[in-house]
Amino acid sequence: MPMTDNSAGKTGAATEGVRARDRLALLTADNAAVPLPAGVQAITAILLAVLLIALPWLGLGYRFLSIAITTLYTAIGLYGLGLQFGQAGIMSVGHAALMGVGAYASAILSVQLGLGFWTSLPFAMALSAIVGGVIGLPTLRVGGQHYIIITFCFCALFVIVLTNGGTFTGSATGLDVGSVTPLPGINFDKLSNNYYLVLAALFLALAATYLIGNSRYGRTLRAIRENEQLARSVGINVDLHKLGVLMVSGLFAGLAGVLQLYYLRHISPTLFGAFPSLYLALMVMLGGARYLYGPLIGAVVVNFLPEVLNLDPVDSRIAYGVCLLLVILLLPGGVGAGIKNVYCAVRGGFEKQGGGTNGRA
Amino acid sequence: MAALEVRGLRKQFGGVVALNGIDLDIGTDQVVGIVGPNGSGKTTLFNVVTGVHPATGGTVSWQGQDITNLGPHRIARKRLVRTFQQAMSFPGLTVDENVRIAWEQGRMGGSRWASPGMILNFVGLAPLGRAIAGSLPFGSLRRLGLAVALGVSPELLLLDEPGAGLNDSEAQAFAAVIAQLPPQGIGVCLIDHDMDMMSDLCDRLIVLDFGTKIAEGLPAEVLADPKVREVYLGPDKKAAAS
Repeated sequence: MPMTDNSAGKTGAATEGVRARDRLALLTADNAAVPLPAGVQAITAILLAVLLIALPWLGLGYRFLSIAITTLYTAIGLYGLGLQFGQAGIMSVGHAALMGVGAYASAILSVQLGLGFWTSLPFAMALSAIVGGVIGLPTLRVGGQHYIIITFCFCALFVIVLTNGGTFTGSATGLDVGSVTPLPGINFDKLSNNYYLVLAALFLALAATYLIGNSRYGRTLRAIRENEQLARSVGINVDLHKLGVLMVSGLFAGLAGVLQLYYLRHISPTLFGAFPSLYLALMVMLGGARYLYGPLIGAVVVNFLPEVLNLDPVDSRIAYGVCLLLVILLLPGGVGAGIKNVYCAVRGGFEKQGGGTNGRA
Repeated sequence: MAALEVRGLRKQFGGVVALNGIDLDIGTDQVVGIVGPNGSGKTTLFNVVTGVHPATGGTVSWQGQDITNLGPHRIARKRLVRTFQQAMSFPGLTVDENVRIAWEQGRMGGSRWASPGMILNFVGLAPLGRAIAGSLPFGSLRRLGLAVALGVSPELLLLDEPGAGLNDSEAQAFAAVIAQLPPQGIGVCLIDHDMDMMSDLCDRLIVLDFGTKIAEGLPAEVLADPKVREVYLGPDKKAAAS
């Protein structure tokens, strides 16, 4: 019957259309829940480590290495944000202020008590963690957008307090510190040595993120992110873990803040205000908060984009906005998700992922 | 002494009395069914017993300990575990991880399951271990809800309409899984509207109406009770005519 032929033709075309759309969906999906094979993970880690360690030897110049240091300490802060947002689902747009708590704590300890980098580091990290937990108290009552506004307010308040803190906080001009106390044979005044110091801290942050992500603790956080009510009903103390992850995130932020302080040697309140905080949020979303290398990718993109495209600060802000919109619309999982999906596609994961029931990635 | 003892439990939402002095005894070797019309307080009973809502009055004790108004996670850790009327999961995670999360929570003090895989086998979800929970068909999602609750290694499971939204064959298969629990030392207290399934599955039925227990006993007795028939079928025609 002609009728049947006609409809069969239509069905065929429709199936083709659906397939193409499925492929696109697979390329843009957020598949953080599906682990990559251990071998692939190990090779990626080794390649990345070699690249990062070899970076100062590639002769890319002083400016490049400076941006690389900025990228890496930002990434350390982002790993904390990645943990609280990517794993536990608690977003913050005041994260730079938390880095500022660490940086200022360390700077004040240096100015007032003469403590150096190594001795002030644990205090600065602890203080950031405590402040992170205290700002986190409202998450027990409100979630989502409400908490985001609270973090933004904290950020604004923090800058006001610093600017009006007199000589204690250095007011608007900020504070200066000396260089990192040298270890035997290593002088951190040399830029490449400072780079390695920050890199070592980044490796710690990466290792911590990896271990947490694959541990019972990481699964507990993801359970809270996915369904708080169900998490409670299986025995998870949701309130405790929410505060806990914000404190862990604060530890990362404190470490990043102190590294930033001792790289710049001078800090002022504007470094930790609304714009830097929004950039951190941008980076973590751009890179993909749920992916191990997502925060690092986000930091690299945002820090090197103006350099590569030769943009002035105003243009680069527009470029960031466009990037964020593109990622939200096209790649909700972030660039990290895109890279993983492309890898899966190249490995012929399409057929195996078909139907979304057997996603080997 | 029954494992779960509820005495004079009351719950008011403003002026609405959802539970009006409920007494219950539930052991860990039976399937106990709770039935009643919509709004009779069945789910509220579960919510108050498991600490989701605080009680207005009365006590809940579990294995001799007073657990009235304890937080939901602390009650779950005492191996009194509930499921929800809506099929619930951790939707963005794999089926394996969903069950592993619960299993790890229940592992303290010894789990009855050596691994999360055993639970998946038990409920028949083993082939779907790597699927993302949010992509599961509804029947499998119901099974996953049960698997997550079983993962905590419960001694008493409170199941809130586990069969809701399932077709007949799926519901029967589900009932068969539930029937295997009491012999393994997992008591079941179950809310459902499917009277045929309930009378087959349950050792004892409890009927609620307007927050009060109006009948309790063997399914056949309870279903023959004129009070229960009135609640379910409306007033008897003969009685109404006279």
